[in-house]
Amino acid sequence: MARAWVVFRYGLRYVGSLVLLLGQSLACAVTPPFNAYRFLYQARRVGLGTFFISSVGAFFIGAIISLQMAYLMVSLSAEIYIPNVVAIALARELGPVMTAIIVAGRIGAGITAEIGTMTVTEQIDALKAFAVNPVRYLVVPRLLALLLMVPILTVFAVLAGILGGFVICHFKLSIQHHTYWNMVVTALVLKDVVTGLLKTFFFAAVIAIVGCWEGMNVRGGADGVGKATTLAVVRSFIFIILIDCVLTFIFYFVFNA
Amino acid sequence: MIEIKNLYKTFDKTAVLNGLNLHVREGETKVIIGRSGVGKSVLLKSIVGLVRPESGSIVVDGQELMGLDERGFDRVRKDIGLVFQGGALFDSLNVGENVAFHLDEFTRIRGEERRERIARALSFVGMREIEGLMPSQLSGGMRKRVSLARVLCREPRIILYDEPTSEVDPITADAINNLIVEMRNRLKVTSIVVTHDMNAAYKIADTIAMFYQGQVIADGTPEEIRHCRHPFVRQFISGESQGAITEDENIKFGHVR
Repeated sequence: MARAWVVFRYGLRYVGSLVLLLGQSLACAVTPPFNAYRFLYQARRVGLGTFFISSVGAFFIGAIISLQMAYLMVSLSAEIYIPNVVAIALARELGPVMTAIIVAGRIGAGITAEIGTMTVTEQIDALKAFAVNPVRYLVVPRLLALLLMVPILTVFAVLAGILGGFVICHFKLSIQHHTYWNMVVTALVLKDVVTGLLKTFFFAAVIAIVGCWEGMNVRGGADGVGKATTLAVVRSFIFIILIDCVLTFIFYFVFNA
Repeated sequence: MIEIKNLYKTFDKTAVLNGLNLHVREGETKVIIGRSGVGKSVLLKSIVGLVRPESGSIVVDGQELMGLDERGFDRVRKDIGLVFQGGALFDSLNVGENVAFHLDEFTRIRGEERRERIARALSFVGMREIEGLMPSQLSGGMRKRVSLARVLCREPRIILYDEPTSEVDPITADAINNLIVEMRNRLKVTSIVVTHDMNAAYKIADTIAMFYQGQVIADGTPEEIRHCRHPFVRQFISGESQGAITEDENIKFGHVR
């Protein structure tokens, strides 16, 4: 019991420090001086670094959903509804979550390793000694870049997933291409797209803030950087799933979406 | 110029600064010597606000620094340059961008004038034509000199050096020592230099202060320190493995640190 209380208090303090860092970052983001170059550099890094892997991953996820659904739907002669399932599952849930997890593994880990190395080699102290706020210099460009790029990557991932579903539906289940696309367009309504995209902003903030916080709080040398990188990825995954769960509840019960 | 009174700082219940008093006059080069872990680097970091002591007083140019918030320290930091032990060059920037860091962040100096300022700072530390190199391509001695050039580019009135000649060959060490002397003679900069190198200390110091267990146990000109009869000072400057310091540590800690 005492152990559970200690863990709970640690968790609360940890979440509090993340919220504090997010608040500081947002405050810095809306006050001058602004630096577009650092933001665009990070956005390019996130976008180019993840576009291919998230799109390919989503393509196969779309194909897998189609195949798995075909297993059930064909026996019910309802395979015509597979495009609807693929589109809704990807737009509302799988597209945002899968993209976020890929970005957390690829970009979030990189953020922690980079900032962690800066911490142990006194580069963060050097920034402060030069009267430069490390949050403004390091966290803000990464946060804004992820807030911009994760939704964009998600849109492409959803499109790639629907394409993956099309390959199975067309070539395996003989659904005509115009029928497939008609079913997809009919199935998707605005709230599916909006709820899916809304989640991505929360996921992006989690990946950026957890990655930066872990990096800025590294203790020790290379060993500490390694541990922090692992922790950042694991904690980002947990937060992504938790936030997804909470938002899905809210959308379903509060907004009936 | 710099007046430190009764400074206390504790890490994990160990008093690193234990009622420290130190006075540095304007234009003076004060060398701080002492064993590892006696609080030399902590003092430098306290002066620029990277470490916050629990109590005491740090007055720079008549301004009390204790109790200042980050913004207050940022104003003070613009007058103080800190040369880090490992250089702390920013890995993601090349040498030129590192040297011009202050110009790029806080001024509108660009183009030819920026290039001139970089070249002037680099030539002052005996380097040229290396603006395009990355820090990872530099040797330890080069990194330290670039770090000094980065500080010089800000034209600070006070420079704090944290072991500027550690991990460099004797020839480079002597070149760095000459630079520190030149800084005092040409630019009238006030300096605090932390070093273990007694030859360097005698060469560059106006006064030398020896730290022991968070306090100053001797403070005087190089000649006074050379002839000091304090047993701790005698053992340190002669570099003997057995003597008053090691005996004292054996009694206090049960082993030699």
